[in-house]
Amino acid sequence: MNILVFVKRVPDTESKIRIHHETNTVIEEGLNFIISSNDEYAVEEALRLREAKGGQVTVISVGAEESTTILRKCLAMGADEAVLIKDDLKETYDGLRIAKMITRAVEKKFPHFDLLLFGKQSVGADNAQVPSMVAEMLGLPQANVVTKLEINGTQGTALREIEGAEEKVIFSLPAVVSAQKGLNEPRYETLKGIMAAKKKIIPVMTLEELGLRKEDVAPQVDITKMEMPPARQAGKIIPGPPEEAAKKLAELLRREAKVI
Amino acid sequence: MTITTLDPKICEEFIRIVGRENVIDDPERMDDYSHDEFSLRDISRMPALVLKPRSPFQVAAILEIADQEKIPVTPRGGATGLCGGCVPSPGGVVLSVENMNRVLEIDADNQMAVVEAGVTLNDFEKAVEEAGFYFPPHPGEESAMIGGMIATNAGGSRAVKYGVIRNYVRGLEVVTPRGDILSLGGKLIKSSTGYSLLHLMIGSEGTLAVITKAVIQILTKPSVTRSLVIPFDDLEAAIETVPLLLKKVVPLALEFVPLDVIQITEEHLQKKWPCGQGETHLLVILDAASEDEMDRLSQTVAEIALEKGALDVFIADTAKKQDNVLDIRSKIYEAIKHDTIEIMDICVPRAEIAAHVKKVRAVAQKYGLWLPTFGHAGDGNVHTHIMKARHEDGQVIPISEAEWREKFDKIREELYDDGMARGGVISGEHGIGLVKKKFLSRSLSPEQIELMKGIKRAFDPNGILNPGKIFD
Repeated sequence: MNILVFVKRVPDTESKIRIHHETNTVIEEGLNFIISSNDEYAVEEALRLREAKGGQVTVISVGAEESTTILRKCLAMGADEAVLIKDDLKETYDGLRIAKMITRAVEKKFPHFDLLLFGKQSVGADNAQVPSMVAEMLGLPQANVVTKLEINGTQGTALREIEGAEEKVIFSLPAVVSAQKGLNEPRYETLKGIMAAKKKIIPVMTLEELGLRKEDVAPQVDITKMEMPPARQAGKIIPGPPEEAAKKLAELLRREAKVI
Repeated sequence: MTITTLDPKICEEFIRIVGRENVIDDPERMDDYSHDEFSLRDISRMPALVLKPRSPFQVAAILEIADQEKIPVTPRGGATGLCGGCVPSPGGVVLSVENMNRVLEIDADNQMAVVEAGVTLNDFEKAVEEAGFYFPPHPGEESAMIGGMIATNAGGSRAVKYGVIRNYVRGLEVVTPRGDILSLGGKLIKSSTGYSLLHLMIGSEGTLAVITKAVIQILTKPSVTRSLVIPFDDLEAAIETVPLLLKKVVPLALEFVPLDVIQITEEHLQKKWPCGQGETHLLVILDAASEDEMDRLSQTVAEIALEKGALDVFIADTAKKQDNVLDIRSKIYEAIKHDTIEIMDICVPRAEIAAHVKKVRAVAQKYGLWLPTFGHAGDGNVHTHIMKARHEDGQVIPISEAEWREKFDKIREELYDDGMARGGVISGEHGIGLVKKKFLSRSLSPEQIELMKGIKRAFDPNGILNPGKIFD
């Protein structure tokens, strides 16, 4: 199987995010960057499929030079090749723009593939647009928010999370699949893997090489304001003896919260 | 449990000092104050009253009365201790520092934090990290309070590189049984000014004075940390790797853990450890100033470990993965607690660990009891868990109370003797409390114990502070 996996470099979810209000950007100083967690499930799934069925796993990231760090991590996990599509613009929150680049790269450079794997959405932007847009532009079947994936010959079966239930979809390959937490438990890198990954060359593709002009990939999204989500309100403490407090609680749940 | 009551008049005085809302006398709620984390409730004792003072002045006023009336007073922090150190004396008063819970100052220029004794480790770490600093000691349980951690000279896994609580306490405010409020040390790195009463307080288990405030050294945060999990097929190879590693690298933490307890903890937490191979794993936590330095350190560790027969070296570098690994390591006790009678904390010179652990295995065999053993390979502190169970083919099989009660002391004696013969001590970081009291004379000479008793008398002539702990 020939699998392409798309990964994005994002701020570590454990980092404390600060906003630069004049430029409406996230302040990068002091932040750690990691592979977006959903993308890591995609990489793991690709590696497992390759281990079971043979083939090749190529990991691709769109981003600045710094993204090579996460590509190297994917190589350390066991990916065969890694490629950077170099985009010098910082986070644009424009899913269509990235989808265009990926589509063009796949068409021009990786025409022979069985499966395109993505994370269901990136940490930070959380748009969940790119996988579906790429599938549309390439005219491929897609299964998103996938928690279980099986491949049999040229047929894929996926379980996807839908509200209050699970949906089973069957599709033909080649296809686009986006991964969700629960699909697998990503492996830890080994030092041997890291050392081997260090020696590998990560080719860089420019937008010009993909035949994309500046105007083709001009950001269409304008960020007018960026704010932290409001702090969670403190819980309510109901004082008094247990019998009275319990009555009061039941009343509040009924009248205020309207949950019972 | 019976409750011995206090003279109502004295009760009134205590209540007047701290205020009604800071007193507990309802037996149901006092039950929480009758024990610590030691598993056997036989050692629990009901206090006559629980007082929660808000200032050193209130502590002084309480102690003055108690001293006059010869009422036992047991200081209490988070009660996460494991050897009955804060179990009250019958008819005595529990003096809980839980209301003295403010972080008073983070002094960035001097890199010192000033905190009240009832601040929890969790809150302390948060405050220190928010100010951009770092507090290395981490004795597992985060609801532990600063006062209690100082009173037991708590350690934890990061002691290899950064030492134990003692290395960070620079100043203390304590209240003596006479009601004097003393200020010991300060925001100082050095002091050669007379006997160090400060260091006498650290590890004194609440028997000399009540700690109300502490000045604690904090450090700048290392920029990169990484955890390596290294599986070995056998214990010896894993332990023999430790001194070789320490010759080249000083890790933040260097732990050894058998895979069986890891797997039980994975199940308990529903989390995944990096690898399921081998029999004994080393967990090496490294810190460094840069990614390049980190790569070099990891490479060195890996080369030494692989040379000694390690099966592989797994890396946790993102915060999430590192937390995952540390969480599993830290919660082994939680996972096996149900069947644990006691966690021992013998500390031996670290080159003796392998031989001591072999002895543990022989004793386990001899008595037919499960004695899972893991701990701080880097500093010689070995946690052998004495279980109420056998462990066969991955199954935990409970044994009868009569059987484990009969074996409990014999096992402890054999293991303490082995630890002492190797130049160790009976407690590396938990303290003596009630549970290890009868074994103290195996670790210290009669002359040493007599001197300690003299120190106790000098501070507490009426013997009211946490009586019956460490020694009688």
